Amino acid sequence: MPRDFPREVTRLTAALAATVLAVGGLAARAADTALAARGAYLAAAAGCADCHTDRPHGGRLYAGGRALTTPFGTFYAPNITPDLETGIGQWSDAQFLNALREGVRPDGSNYFPVFPYPSFTKITDDDARAIKAYLFTQPAVKQSNRAHDVAFPFSWRFLQNGWKLLFFSPGPFRPAPERGEAYNRGAYLVTALAHCSECHTPRNWFGATQPSRFLAGTAHGPDGKAVPNITPDSETGIGKWSDDDIVTLLKDGQTPDFDFVGGAMAEVVKNTAQLTNADRHAIAVFLQSVPAVRSPR
Amino acid sequence: MKSSTKCSMLTAAVICALANFSVVAPAQDKETVVKNREALMKGQGKDLGSVKAYIDGKGDQAQAEAGAVSLTQSTRKIPDAFPPGSGGPNSDGKFAAKPVIWSDWNKFLEIQKNAVSKADVLLAAVKSGNKTTIETAFGDLGKNGCGACHETFREKLQD
Repeated sequence: MPRDFPREVTRLTAALAATVLAVGGLAARAADTALAARGAYLAAAAGCADCHTDRPHGGRLYAGGRALTTPFGTFYAPNITPDLETGIGQWSDAQFLNALREGVRPDGSNYFPVFPYPSFTKITDDDARAIKAYLFTQPAVKQSNRAHDVAFPFSWRFLQNGWKLLFFSPGPFRPAPERGEAYNRGAYLVTALAHCSECHTPRNWFGATQPSRFLAGTAHGPDGKAVPNITPDSETGIGKWSDDDIVTLLKDGQTPDFDFVGGAMAEVVKNTAQLTNADRHAIAVFLQSVPAVRSPR
Repeated sequence: MKSSTKCSMLTAAVICALANFSVVAPAQDKETVVKNREALMKGQGKDLGSVKAYIDGKGDQAQAEAGAVSLTQSTRKIPDAFPPGSGGPNSDGKFAAKPVIWSDWNKFLEIQKNAVSKADVLLAAVKSGNKTTIETAFGDLGKNGCGACHETFREKLQD
């Protein structure tokens, strides 16, 4: 029926368009799911939950509130659930990236470097977006942030501008292609995501890590605890460890003499245990290649 | 001095001595307790080593089984290795037993019992000879038995 033909075509077109949209929507949703799944892996590598969950008091996942004791005072990690009011539910991707890359809050003021943005600045934009996508799939928890208990003058956020000028070099991780894939992946994991240096590198009077003693350990780590030297120094570091020894530690928390790590590192191992063996191996390759630094005795 | 005063002084001394004995272990004893505890843990490390050697094809099954048997025994001895008043640094000063062991004794026991059942599982696995099962049981005991306890109850004092 020629008269009906255009209508048929219209209908067909509409049906087709609907199908295309539906398929497109499904594909987009699948892409979102894949992005969030990638983000879950990266969030584990970065250990977001460790600071942003008040596990010592049975706090809800990512709802913040955990106390972090430093020489400058006690900081309370904020809520990073997608709650619109008390979490980061209203944040744009740009705001999230700005927090990680520049250490800047959505209101333009500075984070204190207890939030390891000097490491997170090296995270790639794609990875940061994946982490945000993952966090936004998590249950929103209404829990207001607790104010930091930090004494003047450290409590003045604008003073952080001076700190950043002196000690903060923003910018993404720059690979060294000549050193191979494993080295570069390991370097990215250690220096950016897993932010190992934040505990394993001693800090100066201003609370900034000392590059010359990268990963050389300190007697005055988080909560005043001793943190071991993980440079390849044969006496005071892990120079006698094989790559496999490092992989085993990251997987099971077991040292070569069959001790099992405790304290904060036991929490870290719960994260590194979720990584692929290839990633754990990459971390080992990188750690074996950093300059050996001898700890004072 | 009147005999009644003497008597009461003596009583007080006895009471003090008894109280002292029951509340805080004498210094010499504490040292021994800590040394024995270290020997227990070091022995566990060695036992785990013999199981790991078998997993890696570097040791035989009999030795691994002996190690696993020993672990099922030593994990059961842990509560006795931590009498009240025996907290503080170990003999080389690198680690310390935290006070929370005794203030949260039930949690300590919960993890210890967990370790016991994981050691039992490991022994069964070693007897089966299935290396995949052994490896899983080994990691579980290490991480969720030994590691779980160290996470909460042990403190690192020195690098």
